[in-house]
Order: sequence, then structure tokens, then C-alpha cells
Amino acid sequence: METLNYPNVQEKLYREVLDNGLEVIVLPKEGFQKTYATFSTKYGSVDNRFSVGGQEPTRVPDGIAHFLEHKMFEEPEGDIFAVFASQGASANAYTTFDRTVYLFSATEQVHANLETLINFVQKPYFTDTNVDKEKGIIEQEINMYKDNADWRVYFGLIDALYHNHPVHIDIAGTVESIYKIDKETLYRCYETFYHPSNMLLFVVGGVDAKDIFDLVKANQQAKSFEPQGKIERYFDEEPAHVKIPRKVAQLSVSLPKCMLGFKEKKVGLTGEALLRQEVTTKLMLETLIGPSSKLYQSLYEQNLISDSFGHEYNSSTDYAFSVVGGDTPDPDALIEALRTGITAAVNQGIEQSAFERSKRKKIGSYLRMLNSPESIAGEFTRYRFRDADMFDVLGFYEACTLEEVNQRLREHFDFGQLAVSIVEKPQAKA
Amino acid sequence: MTLFQRGQLQRVRLHVLPTKRFKTFAISLFAGVPLNEDTVTPIALIPFVLRRGTARTPETIAFREKLDDMYGAGFGFDVYKRGDSQIVQFRMDVINDQFVSSEQSLLAASLQFLGDALTDPLIEGGGFRAKYVEAEKATLRKRLEAIVNDKIRYAAERCLEEMCAGEPYRLHPLGKLDGIDGITPDALLRHYEDWLERAALDLYVVGDTSLEEVTKLVGDAFKLKTGTPARYSVPNVKQDVQDVKYVLDELDVSQGKLNMGLRTGIGYDDTLYPAALMYNGILGGYPHSKLFINVREKESLAYYAASRLDGHKGICTIQSGIEFNNYEKAVAIIKQQLESMARGELSELEINQTKAMISGHLRELQDSAYEMLSYDFNSVLTGNERTSAELLEQVQGVTADDIVEVAKRVQLDTVYFLRDRKEA
Repeated sequence: METLNYPNVQEKLYREVLDNGLEVIVLPKEGFQKTYATFSTKYGSVDNRFSVGGQEPTRVPDGIAHFLEHKMFEEPEGDIFAVFASQGASANAYTTFDRTVYLFSATEQVHANLETLINFVQKPYFTDTNVDKEKGIIEQEINMYKDNADWRVYFGLIDALYHNHPVHIDIAGTVESIYKIDKETLYRCYETFYHPSNMLLFVVGGVDAKDIFDLVKANQQAKSFEPQGKIERYFDEEPAHVKIPRKVAQLSVSLPKCMLGFKEKKVGLTGEALLRQEVTTKLMLETLIGPSSKLYQSLYEQNLISDSFGHEYNSSTDYAFSVVGGDTPDPDALIEALRTGITAAVNQGIEQSAFERSKRKKIGSYLRMLNSPESIAGEFTRYRFRDADMFDVLGFYEACTLEEVNQRLREHFDFGQLAVSIVEKPQAKA
Repeated sequence: MTLFQRGQLQRVRLHVLPTKRFKTFAISLFAGVPLNEDTVTPIALIPFVLRRGTARTPETIAFREKLDDMYGAGFGFDVYKRGDSQIVQFRMDVINDQFVSSEQSLLAASLQFLGDALTDPLIEGGGFRAKYVEAEKATLRKRLEAIVNDKIRYAAERCLEEMCAGEPYRLHPLGKLDGIDGITPDALLRHYEDWLERAALDLYVVGDTSLEEVTKLVGDAFKLKTGTPARYSVPNVKQDVQDVKYVLDELDVSQGKLNMGLRTGIGYDDTLYPAALMYNGILGGYPHSKLFINVREKESLAYYAASRLDGHKGICTIQSGIEFNNYEKAVAIIKQQLESMARGELSELEINQTKAMISGHLRELQDSAYEMLSYDFNSVLTGNERTSAELLEQVQGVTADDIVEVAKRVQLDTVYFLRDRKEA
């Protein structure tokens, strides 16, 4: 068990990689009632073509990682939620582009709940009947998202940006694709991606690190896992340019929703370099179009944006893009105003004072995030799966210079790399 | 367990929880008045205008830059209803100075910021700055018009509106669309002055500080008129249901949204409140609850099927997303769950599971500054202090008979369904 000290944020972390390859991290939080644990596999919606140990690559139906997440909660004895409930724990799970996370939070019976978490995730139980039953439920989940305008405009944008990379496919798949899923394919995905060497257990809260390690080690030693070869993921080559410059969907909304996405031409960064790029880009976006920027205020005064206007940066080794937008009465006027404002900023560069202010803001929001066990576990895992350390983020913000931000500004905003996604009211029928 | 220290400064009640557990100071100011058709819209508009600038810092950019300079202090507000009150909650959170190299006390700066925003607004002539009022009227209008964008929330709001058609609770906390146009900068200023004079005001601070320090800082930062704190009125929770209302709305949706409104007749103050919490938990609060098991797991009718309790108004609501043609089937299954609870069909297992879940949530409150102060504010609303530890004990003591007693009092009031437009 190694101890990692982070004195600048007054946190101490314990880490060990077990013999079977499982990485375990414990972050004791003094005075906390609750323990929050996540058990995550580096397996998400984008992993739809893969091979393991040099075998033939397999292509699986869209939405299967999410389907698998749903099905893990069923055991021969019944629903695992009932077990957690009897032990006073709230359990849940979620699937993202690149990971699936199972979690619980509890104030009592922490050891029992931790055993339950590890055991149910390490024990798949799929039958033809229970797989079929889930299709109706997930179909309703997909339909629920279809009615959600924010979700439609966001995923519409990713679909407009990417030709081939599976990040453009809905995490839950489509009604059509999920009906192709069967128990054999679920087992194949499970066996590949739920091997301990592809997983991370994170425990944060009012716990003693040694207790937790003892429990996890004993639990894992009682199970046997065949060593597994390396997992290879296959993606078709992604062209640098966007797929659809402008994508419009219709839904009953009060005002159109409009998002602009800039697709990075160059990808392939890993680890610390990827993390640095993320920090610099986020800081650049905040300075340029955050709520206290001149551009934000001018758009607000022209009535082109509302409080819903925001920005984000999404990056991984294989894809990276920024998202800017929100509700607007006039998508074309907003796009033009952003084009003018951003072009001016690229030419003039960012001011030192605005940069320093945004940097303080980012440092503050990072420190605030550390109040939340849920955020710590989520963010730590997200970075860890990209071979980066979440606790380095503070130092990167502190070290980031105006020059780097200005360079990122010039490099990132290439209007040839722009796609726009709009959700608007259906036109009245003639 | 740490307890809130209580103080008072003119019309403001002060609640301070000294703790070193967090890296931040969490600050909340609650201002509540009775929900009223004539004032609901201008009062909703007030915080939107207050966040544009103050007498000291009139320009919005400079106002927001101040927040960024305080290490990105969070500043926001929310307008909602509890019981029959319309409550404006201002929130600030700021880093504890020890983690950053700050030349000023960030707690003092934050309270100054909040004090300025609330009690020293920008006034020009006899009103608020006209440009800000007009811009924020547009923002409020957009917010009200946007309710329809989130179909799940829209259906929930429509259900309550129909259910409480004859009560102030029907009003949306952000007011009414047709009430916005006529608000002038001068009229809004008068509403603001009247609101500040009438409102029940509660200021909470959670962090590494003391009541003494906060009292001094608030005294320096807030321009307070003399007076004593106002109390919240107790909402009416007893409302007899004559006939069940059935309401159908049509919009362009892919999935039907089924909502049902129940009256429990049990308020937050009631001795049966802990049993009402248990009733809601067993019915639809969790993945082990009757709705989840019967609507989702057994019948695959829905992805979500849950219930929620508004303890201050004595209303329990049910929500589920289903296929249009499963409406009758889903309503029948849900009604069966309500009837089975009134017949006393409760297993020891589901009672114990629900007790464990509610107890866990009550203990977890301690880990979040905002959860702690929001929970404590319930006591202010009812004028009756009940700590989370006391409520936890009361929940543990709930018997099956208590839950059946609640189930017998529960009356189905409204069944609301949002579906697609039928072809003409």
C-alpha cells in the first residue's frame, strides 16, 4: 500500500495494485458520515470493436456497454438493489463514452456494502428471459431522452462532428440496436472488460484505509481470475473535418437551442499532455466566453443568449472538441456574433487581467469540487483511465501562462472545424 | 453532532454552524413571503435584477469580476415554493482562505457582496436601472416559456397546477407570463422595498467561523432596517378530495408522461410525518419500492416510476414515463399499489429496507454544508425544531400500523397524462 500526499489540498491517498491487476484507491475523509465507493471498468459506449490477447476483433451492437450495466444488477437471488437497501445503501451505476461505473453511498455497514458492490459486479447473470425483459425498459429510457431537447442538441452536435468514431453513437444505442443484443454477446463483453486488470475501485469517506485494503484483498484472493491478454480497441480512421456543418432537429421548444462545436484536428495526446491541454483549453474558454467576459455580456445584452449559455471541453486520446452554446431566439445571429467575437479575440489575444481572474475562478471551483466525495471519485477515475492524476490539475492551473492560453486560442478556433447543432420548434404545417 | 448557533440582527435570523470539515464557507439567505397571485411575478423578478449590479458596483461585468477575484466565489439564487410560501434563496460559496493566498478575508468579502446585492441595490431616479429591468424581464419570460422544454418537469408542474387549482400552491414560483409586461423599474423598486420589509429572512453560514464573527460581518455588510424577524405561515394541508380529476394534455412527445397527485393531509409538523416519509419510501422513493418493482421490473412499462413527498404541503406525487397505449394499464397498476398499502400489505423486509435508506440519507446530510442548512431551514419554516438525529429516531420508531394509517388518509386527487398530438 503506497501513500500519496497532497499537502496543497490537505488530502492523503492510499493506493495499491492487487495481484490480479485490480487497482484500489482509498481516500479517508475525516469527519465524514458517508462512504462513497465506485467500482469502474474502462469500458464505455465507444468500445464497440475490440480484441483480447491477439484474438480476432469482434464488433458488438451499439449500446451494449449500457445494456450490460443495467443487467449487472440482476442476480439469481433477485435484484441487487434490494440487498443494498437492506444494508441502508443507495446504489446506482452509469455508463459514459469510456467507462462504466457502479457505486454506492452508505453511512452504515460499509464493509457489507463494499463486499456487495465487488461481488455483484464480479458475478454476471444473464438469461434469455432477463435479457429480453430489459429491452422494454431501455426502449423507454431511449424514448425519454428523445423528448429531452438539451440531450438532443448535445448529441446532435457530436454526431455532426464525427464521421466514424463511435463517440457519435448514443450511449444507450438505438431501439433497433438493443433488440440485437443477446446473452452470449453480453458475456463476451463482460469477460473482456470486467477483468480486474481493467478495473479501478475507489473508496472515499469516513473509512480507515487499512481496513478497506484488508477487506478487498481477502475478497479478491478468494476468487480466481485467469490472467488476461491486452485489450485492443479498434476505431476506423476519423477524417479531420466535421461530418455535417449544420444539423437541425425539431422538437417543441420555447426557444431554439444552438450549440457550436469545434473539432480538434490533431488528437493522440495521452496522460499528462492530455491533461495539460484540457486545463489550458478550459481556462481559455472561461476567459473568452465565461459569464464575466465582455463577449458574454455583449451577447446577453443583445438578447442572443440567456443563463443557459455555457461551454465545455471534451477530450480523450482519440477525439477532442469544445462545445459552446445554449438557448437563443436567433441561432444564425448567435453564430455570427460568436464568429465575430472569437475572431477578434484570436487577433487581439486575451488580456492579462481577464486571464488572472479566470485562473482564480478555476482554482476556486477545483477546490470546491474536493468537498464532494462523488465528484472526487468520478473525476479521479476519469483521469486515471487516461493515465493522468486528478490531483495534478491544481498545479497545472497554477502553472498555466497567458502565452499558452493565447496559443491555444489561436490553435483551437478554426472555423473550418466548426459544426452547429440546432433544435427548434417544428414549422407550422401549411 | 455539531449544532447551529442562533442569533438575530434586526429582521434577520442568523444560523451559524462552525465546522472545519469543508474547504469552503457555504452561505445561504432565505427570504420568504406568502404566495400571492398579485405579487408572485414581481417578487420572482427581484433577484434577477439584484444580480445585475449594486450601488457600489453598478456594472454587471465588474460585479461578476469581483466574484472571480474571490477565487471564483459561487453566487446564485433560486426561487421556489415551500408550503404556501414563495422563497428566494441566495447562495454563495467561497474557498476557505487557508487554501489560497488571498489578501482579503473571503468570508468577509462574500458577506459584503451578498449584503450589497440584497440591501444596497443600484437605484437610478425612482427605480432600478431600466436597462437591467427590461433585460431581466426578458430572461424571466424565457425561463417561464422554457418550462415546456423539459417534458418530465412540465408534466409534474401541470399536474400540481390542476390539482391545486383553488389554492395559492397552483402558482409557479417564477410567476405568470402575463404579469411581466406591466412591471416598470419604479414599480419593481416599490415591490422590492415592500418585500424586504415583509419577508421572513434567514441567513445561514456553514464553515470555519463563529456566530460572533458572522454577526459582526453581517452588521457591517448589510444595510438593515430596524425590526424583528417575521415568521412563516403554516400551510393548509387538509383538503378533502371529492372526485378524482383526470387531465389530458397533448404535445409533440415521443413518450407519455403519467403523473398522479395524492393528498396525505399530513404536514411536516404532524406526528405522522415520519410515517408519511416511510409511506413515500415504500411506495416509490427507491429502486426497491413498489412502483419500481411493479411498473418497471415486473411489467417493463417504464424506465422511471417513482414518488416524491412534499412534506410542507402534504402532497405526494407519482411520476412515470410510459408508452401512450399503456396508460390504462399503468394507472391500474399504480392504483393497485396504493390500495395494497391501505390494506396493510407491507412486508417486514420493505419496511426495514426503507428505514435503512431514509436513515442513511439523514446521516449523509452531515457531509454537505448545503444539505445541512437546507434541512435545518425546515425547522424555521414550521417554527418547530427537529434535528436530523431526532427525525432519524422517529423514523426508526415507525410501525406498520403507522404506515397503514397514512395509507388510509392518502387520497388520490389528480391523474395527469401528457401524450402526443392525435392526428386530426
